[in-house]
Parts: sequence; structure tokens; C-alpha cells
Amino acid sequence: MLTFILRRILVMIPQLLLLSVIIFLLAKAMPGDALTGAFQGNPEANAEHMEELREKLGFNDPWYEQYGRWVTNFVQGDMGMSYVHKQKVTSLLGNRLSNTVLLSLTTMITIYLIAIPLGIIAGRWNNSWADKAIVTYNYFSIATPVFIFALIMLFIFGFYFSWFPTGRSVDITIQNGTWDYFVSKANHLVLPTLSGAIIGTAGTIQYLRNDIIDTKLKDFVKTARAKGVPEGRVYTRHILRNSLLPIAAFMGYEITLLISGSVFIESIFSYPGLGQLFIQSIQTRDFTVVSALVMISGAAVIIGTMLSDIILSIVDPRIRID
Amino acid sequence: MGKRQLMLLISLMLALSVFLAACSGKDDKGDADKKDPGKDEGKTEETEGEDAAEEEELDFPLDVSNTGETIEDGTLNYALVSNTPFEGTLNPVFYSGRPDAEVMQFFDEELLATDGDYLITNEGAAKYEVSNENKTIAITIGDNVNWHDGEPVKASDLLYAYELLGHPDYKGDRYTYTIYNVEGMEAYHKGEAKEISGIEISEDDKTITINYLEASPSLMSGIWTYPVPRHYLGDVTKGEVTIDEIVESEKIRTTPIGFGPYKVEKVVPGESVQYVRNEDYWRGKPAAESVVLKVVNTSSILKELEAGSIDIAEVPADQYLNAKELTNVDLLAKIDLAYTYIGFKLGKWDEKKKENITDPDAKLADKRVRQAMWHAMDNEVIGEKMYHGLRFPATTLIIPVFASFHDADNPGRAYDPEKAKALLDEAGFKDTNGDGIREDADGNEFVLNFASMEGGEVAEPIAQHYIQNWADVGIKVQLTDGRLHEFNSFYDMVESDDPKVDIFQGAWGTGSDPDPEGLYGRTASYNYSRYTSEENDRLLKEGTSEKAFDFEYRKGIYDEWQELMVEDVPVAPTVYRYATTLVNKRVANYSIDQSSDNYYPWKWGVTQKDPVK
Repeated sequence: MLTFILRRILVMIPQLLLLSVIIFLLAKAMPGDALTGAFQGNPEANAEHMEELREKLGFNDPWYEQYGRWVTNFVQGDMGMSYVHKQKVTSLLGNRLSNTVLLSLTTMITIYLIAIPLGIIAGRWNNSWADKAIVTYNYFSIATPVFIFALIMLFIFGFYFSWFPTGRSVDITIQNGTWDYFVSKANHLVLPTLSGAIIGTAGTIQYLRNDIIDTKLKDFVKTARAKGVPEGRVYTRHILRNSLLPIAAFMGYEITLLISGSVFIESIFSYPGLGQLFIQSIQTRDFTVVSALVMISGAAVIIGTMLSDIILSIVDPRIRID
Repeated sequence: MGKRQLMLLISLMLALSVFLAACSGKDDKGDADKKDPGKDEGKTEETEGEDAAEEEELDFPLDVSNTGETIEDGTLNYALVSNTPFEGTLNPVFYSGRPDAEVMQFFDEELLATDGDYLITNEGAAKYEVSNENKTIAITIGDNVNWHDGEPVKASDLLYAYELLGHPDYKGDRYTYTIYNVEGMEAYHKGEAKEISGIEISEDDKTITINYLEASPSLMSGIWTYPVPRHYLGDVTKGEVTIDEIVESEKIRTTPIGFGPYKVEKVVPGESVQYVRNEDYWRGKPAAESVVLKVVNTSSILKELEAGSIDIAEVPADQYLNAKELTNVDLLAKIDLAYTYIGFKLGKWDEKKKENITDPDAKLADKRVRQAMWHAMDNEVIGEKMYHGLRFPATTLIIPVFASFHDADNPGRAYDPEKAKALLDEAGFKDTNGDGIREDADGNEFVLNFASMEGGEVAEPIAQHYIQNWADVGIKVQLTDGRLHEFNSFYDMVESDDPKVDIFQGAWGTGSDPDPEGLYGRTASYNYSRYTSEENDRLLKEGTSEKAFDFEYRKGIYDEWQELMVEDVPVAPTVYRYATTLVNKRVANYSIDQSSDNYYPWKWGVTQKDPVK
């Protein structure tokens, strides 16, 4: 196992390096740079000084020089300065990351809380009315765009019923660190979480349902039944164990989701997170931030795959990788 | 088969139910309004009475209708309407985006106040005196002006701003004309001098004297008077901190100080800011006990206003129609510091000489063709149909905001397709082969490539509208690459004089200085049309000359310049725009009129605890 993990990590290095070159080249191929359009916010901005700044910030150097500089700093943990935010990328990401992780984590947990029971019900009693209702819900959730759904949730529960706050991550008037503060934080999480979770369940439900239906017909289940194992135990011991495998394996990948965040939900609920930051940085050509974010999510995908493999080998002793 | 049809039916029903839910949402709104009509009635009448009395020229009021007494312990809820978090660089020297400026307005301000023309006055926290043929300005800071930590605002704090702006390590975009025009600034900027020789500080550290290389009326509107708290941030010139450290510091991010009416109590990065009253404010006691600023998404801002959770918000133009329907708010609007224009490429930017070179053989070199194209554009329709009256046809290149410099008698070039055709005929652009499209004066095919930016749902219809307008007079115009361009690639093409672009639609924010040199001068790289002429050079120079300190003289020069631009048409201004602000009816002493006393945040207050719903 250890050698497996080590090997995977070693393979990661060239993968990430290649990714970084591609990202860097693509970023540089985009027209404009962080200073393009600076005059929009500041009409008196002086063009000569802008040129001088480009020189100072190294925007005019050939790409390999810029890349070399960037990589050297990156491996030392320095991701550079964000021109737009005038801040080290590391501290900028730090601020946003906690928000995004919190939101994504609750969303993910809620998705599982909804999807696993529903998937089991739909699979166990397939073709019943409950199954049909669940499948219908699946169609609905897969077809509904998140930006519409989030707005509807916001208008119904935020504005009409006024049950939940309508945006932002916390009520600023509440003292930091008090009990009320945490309640307020949790309260602010409810709507964005539900908006993401309720329509994010389709994949998991469908996987689980199909797998259960498949497994139900397998020989070992028939054997179990023939042995006289009670129906409930057939499901918990024999079917579910097997059917939950792909879900467990999928969990590793979900890590990627954790840090990429949702642009739409963050934007609609004015929730400062990484998803929005990514889009904003692309639009403003804030390359240091874009590259850092892509590298991080790239690394997350690779690590996520590895985790998936590890989880799989733990839950399914038949799969042993070395 | 039967199953599938059932599925289809169910999904259809679901889809329908979504629409129904949306509809019922609207009905609810109606109900909510009906619930407490008594509450608003008295106030509504006030509004109407007041509105009529206000400004006749404008269709919109500039001041709120509520004239009641503000309460002592009120909280003002201010919305920063944006789809992205604010960056949070809360220092006038270092910030880059407008959102941050909105955050700063409550706790920081300029030492010199400005009037309706954005010219400096002696009404602010400091007084100024000009001497030495307008080349020297002495600014004396009032005795009662203190930073939020109790330290007095000193002349050396203002000097500090200049030291930061000119510093070799400074990476912001505010090293502008009014900064590098200071004597000795260039040497300091290059690192050759330790101090800025042109700035002197008085003994008592209350008066700062700034000497300029050349006298220019631009200084009267563009002079930098935001001080920076040296004692709080640390001194870069003494090596206590570096500029990068200041920029990174929490002292300009979550615990900034200023000398404005409110102190920053707390910042939740990117989403909200809480301010409390600054009892020590030099103008007096600020009206509200606290202010809460929240970032609100454009899609929910109207709902927030309707629910009363937001008192003041600037609302994007595309929501105007719905905004009009709200009954618990006042709708204020004024002309924005910006205009949209169509530019005609007439030459190239010479990188070596750093100046614009006009090409006499350019495709659009004949000014009659440009005049015709301006006459052919129906901007009235754009303003009416696509912006619901929030934009209106532009006439000259100095916007009406500069009331004293905008030539209201200059009609520009109104929509007149017949005149356009006549001008084209006169220029020899005739349809020689009978296909309905004009050929150029030599009988060659004449097709123009039009670059326009994407953004918002009206960008495409507007571009198509102009193309149709020009087709109506026989000029064939097509979109560059057959599509609209993203912001960055658009400016990339226009800046580099890409031959794929003959005409382009852009917009300028004008800033507070009416001087157009930066956008239309011979050495201005933002002069994207690359238009130059002797007369233009002369007028722009005169407009900021020593003589132009004489108001009437400057006005005369700018009238002449506006006339020249209407004659030569390097760019055709298309529309001016209104910016709309919605204000809850519990807010009093609020104005968006630059010359009003109520323009300043310390006056803004609420007259009752609960918002008007």
C-alpha cells in the first residue's frame, strides 16, 4: 500500500509539471493582461506609466522566463501576487478556501443524506410508486439549472417566508466567536447548501439504484435468499455492501468539487468563495490567481483519484493494488 | 412506449409547476404591498410634491423625498451591488476597483471638497491657496481633523500619499499627471532622489506646499488630497515597512482608518463591512449611529430593497423597469461620468515616437463619410427601447455632468438619414453597380469592419441596430470576425490598430477632469481613432494653459473643441447614461447631487427604526 501511494505521488510530479506548462501557455495566449482596462476604473491612468508597470511586473518578458520565475516561486510555496487584489495569492486563497470548503462540505454531506436513502428505496422497490417518484425527481433535478433553482429557493425561503438570510456568509453585526455567531454562520449556510444539494443528487441516486437492481439478481443474492436469510439482512449484508462500492469510490473525486466551488451559488448568495474568484480572475486576466487555482484543482483531481483507489481497496478486499 | 409518454407528461407538469411557482411569487409581492398601505401613504404624497419642484431639466430627482428628522440611533443599510466580492484593498493609494471605493467613502475622504463641476473648494477639511502663477498650491489642514485613532491629520500624511504614489516600488495605476507634474517627482520616482523636492511641509505640520512643473487647470479638479496615516501604516521612507508589506497588511484590509464620518468596526472580507459613528468627525456628528454595507447580487437587489433590508443601492440599468414599480423607495438618477461612442480608425500609434499618426489615405479619411455615419445612427431608439430612457442621444464629447463646460447649444449630429445620404453623395460614395450598397469614391467595394464588445443582453441588438442604420443609407458594415468580442480581446485589437477593425464601439469613463487631452491628444495612446490635427493640438493645449485658469476663457476653448469634434468626427458620441440609485423612504438628507450638502455620507440618516416596506 505504501509503495502504491509513493508511486502515485511520484507519477503526480510530471503530470503536474505538464499541467503547469499547458496552463501557463494557455493563460498567456489569452488577449490582454491584468493592466488591460485599468483605465476603466481610473480614467486618468497614464499609458506610459502602465507600460513602465508592465515592465516592472515582468509582463513583457518572454513566456519561458515568466514561467521559470513562476515555477521556481511556486515550488517554494510562493504563488505570487494577485494584481487585482493586491495581495499574495496564498493569503487570498486562504480567505476564500475556508468559505468554499465549508459550503461544499455541507453540500456534499446533504447530497449523501438525501441520495443514499432515496437510492436504496428506489433500488429495493423498483417500479413501485416510490421509485417512480424518485426517478421523476431525478429528471427534475438534472434538468434544472442551478442558477434558476438557487434564485427560486432564495425568493421563496429567503424573501417570501424570510426563514433564512438572503446572502453572505455571516451577519456582520454579531460578535465574532460567540454562540450566536456560529448559529448565524450555520443559518447563512442553509439556503446555498440546499440549493446545491437538492439538485445535485441525481448521479448518486441513479448509480445506487441501478447497482442495487443489478445486484438483486446476482447469484450470491439468490443463494443468500435460498439459505433463508431474512429479506432485510439480504439487503444490508449482501446487496448494499456491494452497491455502495461505486459511491465510496466516487468520494475521492468529490474532493475536487470541494475546492472548485460553485460559481452560481456563490454569486447569487454573495458568498465569497473560490468559484467566483476563478471566473473573476479569468476576466480580469489575473494570471497568478488563475494559474494557482488551476494547479490546485489539478492536484486535487490527481489526489482524489488516488484516494478513490485507496478507499476502494479498503472497502473491497478483492481489489488490491500494488 | 406508454411509460415514456408518462415520463414526458410528468416532466412537463414539473416544468409547469416551476413557472407557476415563479408566478405565484409575483402575486405574493402584490399581496405584501397591499398589507400595509397606510404606512407609506403620507410619504408618497411628499415625494410627488417634492419631485415636481426639483430640477426641471432632469426627468429624475436628485434628492430623497423624506425631509423628516433623522433619529440618533439609526442604522443605515447600504448595498454594494455586485456579482463578485469586493477586493478589500481599502486604501485610496492602492485600491483598484470601484467596489473598494464604495467601501471607502464612509470612512475616508479627500481633504479638499469639490463643487458641482468637480473643482476644488475651500469647504473641505482643508483650505487651499494658489500662488506663483498657479504653479504652487498650499493646503492647510483644519485643526479639528483627526484620524480615527485620535491622532491629528498632518501635512506630512498627505506628503506620505505622494511618497507612496511616486515610490519606485509602487505598483498601482495612480501615478498620474497630477502626481508626476509635481516638481522633483520624476527624480524621486526613478529612485534618484530620496525626497520630493517640490513639496514642503510647514513647521507645525499643518500646511503642505506643492510646487508644480507646469500650471494646469486640471489640478483644480484632479489634485490628490487623500492623506495616508503614516503613523498607523508605518513609514516606507524610513524603512519601517516596505510597500508590499503595507499592501498585504490587515491595516488596509480589515482594520483601516481614515478621518471620515464613520469608523470601520468590522470587515467580513469580500462580503460586508460594519461602521460606527465617528464622534470626532470634523464636520459634526454623523447622522446615523452605524452603517452596514453588504454585497448584494444584481439578481436579488430589488427584492432586498422591497423587503426593506437595504436602504441605499445603485441599481443596474437593466433592472430599471422593475425598479420603477417599487413603492417603498425613491428612485434617484443622475448623468453618469461616462459616454458611449463609435470610433473611426484613422491611423496608427507610433510606438517609437509615442504619438498618433493619422493616415491621410485611411479608409474613412473623408470626414463627410464619418459625419454621414453619425447622422445615420438612430440613438434615440437605443435609449428608449433598449435602456428604457436611461440613456439618451449624446451630442458632444464633454458630458453634461460638467455643466459649465458642456456646450448645451451644440446639437451634435442628430439622426437624419437623408442628410447622411446627401453627405455620402457629396463625398462621391455612390452606388455604381446597383446592388444597393455604396462604393467608395473610386468605385471600389466599400465594406467596414465593426468591432463591438459583448456584455449584457443588449450588446448584440445594439450592434445590429447600428449596422442596419448604416445599411439604410447604403453603407455596408459587418461585425469583425462576424461576432462580438470579449472585453480583453476587444481592447487588444483596438489598441494595436488591428487592420480587422475600421470602426468600433467603446465607452469612456471621463473622471472628474473635463480635460479631454488624455483621450484625444496627439500623444495619448488612448486616442484609439488616431485622429490628430493642428487645430486639435492647439485647443487642447489652450484648454489647460495658464490662461485657462480664467473660467470663461476655458469654457470658450472647450466650446470650440466640441465644435471641432462635431465637424471632424474622429469619434461619434452615441449615448449619455443615467445612473439610478434607489433609496428607502426612511432615509433623509440623501442626495446624489454633487453640489448638495447632502451629498456627503455624514448627512445620511434614517427617520425611523424600521424600514418602509
